[in-house]
Amino acid sequence: MTRIACLVVPGADERTRRFLLEVALAHSPSVEDGGPGIVYLDLRGLGALFGSEREIARRLLGAIGARGLTGHVGIASSRAGSRFATRSHDDITIIPPGGDARTLGPAPLALLDLDPHMAARFHRWGIRTLGELADLPARGLAERLGDEGSELQRLARGEDATPLRLWTPPPVFEESADCPWGVDTLDPLADLAASLVEILCERLVRHGFCADAFEWFCRLADRTVHEGRCAPAAPLAHPEAAVALVRSSLQAHPPRMAVEEITLRASPVRVIAAQPRFDESPRPSPRQLTTVLTRLGALADVHGVGSPRLLDTHRPDAMQMTPFTLSPSPLRREGRGMTRGSFFLAMHRMRPPRPVEVSLTAGLPAHLCAAGLTGRIVAGAGPWRISGDWWTDTTYARDEWDVELADGTLCRLARDARGWRLEAIYD
Amino acid sequence: MVASIGSLPPPGKDGKGLDGLLTALHTSRLSEIVGPRSAGGGSLLLTLLARATARGGLVALVDAADSLDPATAARAGLDLRALLWVRCGGRPASAWSAVDLLVRCPGFEAIALDLGAAGGSPPPSVGARLQRAAEGSGAAVIVRTPRHLLGSAATLVVAMRRVRAHWIGGDRPTRLGGLVSEARVLRSREDPRLATPERAWLIEWRA
Repeated sequence: MTRIACLVVPGADERTRRFLLEVALAHSPSVEDGGPGIVYLDLRGLGALFGSEREIARRLLGAIGARGLTGHVGIASSRAGSRFATRSHDDITIIPPGGDARTLGPAPLALLDLDPHMAARFHRWGIRTLGELADLPARGLAERLGDEGSELQRLARGEDATPLRLWTPPPVFEESADCPWGVDTLDPLADLAASLVEILCERLVRHGFCADAFEWFCRLADRTVHEGRCAPAAPLAHPEAAVALVRSSLQAHPPRMAVEEITLRASPVRVIAAQPRFDESPRPSPRQLTTVLTRLGALADVHGVGSPRLLDTHRPDAMQMTPFTLSPSPLRREGRGMTRGSFFLAMHRMRPPRPVEVSLTAGLPAHLCAAGLTGRIVAGAGPWRISGDWWTDTTYARDEWDVELADGTLCRLARDARGWRLEAIYD
Repeated sequence: MVASIGSLPPPGKDGKGLDGLLTALHTSRLSEIVGPRSAGGGSLLLTLLARATARGGLVALVDAADSLDPATAARAGLDLRALLWVRCGGRPASAWSAVDLLVRCPGFEAIALDLGAAGGSPPPSVGARLQRAAEGSGAAVIVRTPRHLLGSAATLVVAMRRVRAHWIGGDRPTRLGGLVSEARVLRSREDPRLATPERAWLIEWRA
């Protein structure tokens, strides 16, 4: 005979939800997540361990009470029965075996979590309680609603033949290595980390996961912790690419003294392989892209590889580098943005802006002199005064000019309190 | 008034006539866009990248001089999320190495190298190496440089020339309206007809 306990804690948040599931799992191997603050436990075979059903319910309430939570426990022969039992004013309500149908009679239909269409249909029929649903002629109900109708009627009668959808805690992907003698050079440390990465990747593959980030923690000789994090461009579980990534991260942030223990943690994500669309452009494999990005980071400045993101300000050249990722999937958007006639003049920014000498004639720029760029100004437009961010520490105010030199070079000049600068060259 | 050059199509304001050039640049495995500054070469490069991202592809830009302006790139239609920007901070040697790495990662629709005003000399035999790698990866590799650098390795070489700047406001201009530049194919291994002397494109870039 199936016996189900339902533990309900009203107003539970996501952390509490996880805590309730862990409490339940400490009492029963068969646990179902019923939603925020609702957990079902299969009580079969637990009597020898914990005693009577009431004793088990007391233990559950005691475990959550230790964390300052209050709740209700209902025990019955079905999920619907146990859930309904938690609505009692008592902390613990037990419906004896075989009593579900009678107890569930006055329970509202909402207890079955019906979809809106089905709920509306029963409402039109005047069915408000489980008892009324249970009393309907089974054959007529099956003719009108099919298998779903019969199933709902069985639930309303307290006949719950469906086993619990078992919840298992998500696996933790973490590996550590002790080195009590202390590793004080980077290469052996990176080799140690690489061996941990390989173990982690093997475990990830075995569980059908990929990692979207790796975190490493080094316990140093002075008992402090040096930590870092690296994320691939797309979730991966390929050891070679992951090793290159972690090795590069360690090299970029080396520990300042000997390391006595290193721990590596992977953040697992489930990646669903999908058939690409026929009209979809090919994309780099996460393994190759991660390897290339890691090696690019080693070539150029590591902050110099990524995707630019425009900032919400009128400040010239206001942008931020963000990590290059393969998601969200770029969508074909021909016809939007790239319309015919949209040929725009590109601008090559000087970073930082280059100081220049500008001679004025009648208040207008007439001659420009800078390293590698000197000439008479034959045309120009300006000045435009731009200013902003005066409410922050990075206020800006300047006059800008577009000028054309005698050799045809088109430049953007700026003048502020520090003098003239070459901001950009049009190309 | 923009003068017609030979049998030129009208200025490519509406994109007509220019598609052939853009397609040639996209389908050639290793291309060069050569020309002095303010000749429209950078704009042509951005247009190519923008078209590739509009097709849903990913693109990479190796920026030797760290001079890309993301605001104008976005205005040109480039989807910045689909752009891998490698900023080399004025180190051309790093830029060539970066392209060499990227071209071995299949999945990018276009990989561009902007060498900036300086250009510099490429490492020995880099052109042939890039050409072979590009054929393997399927990406269009485009090098923007002031002068022709890659020799016979480049499948397509497009020369850009500035025709005139367009100022708005008469005698006392109030703003820069744009630039008209001329593109000519100096060499096309795949379609030699593109490289005939009488064939050129006038392109009007809006500021």
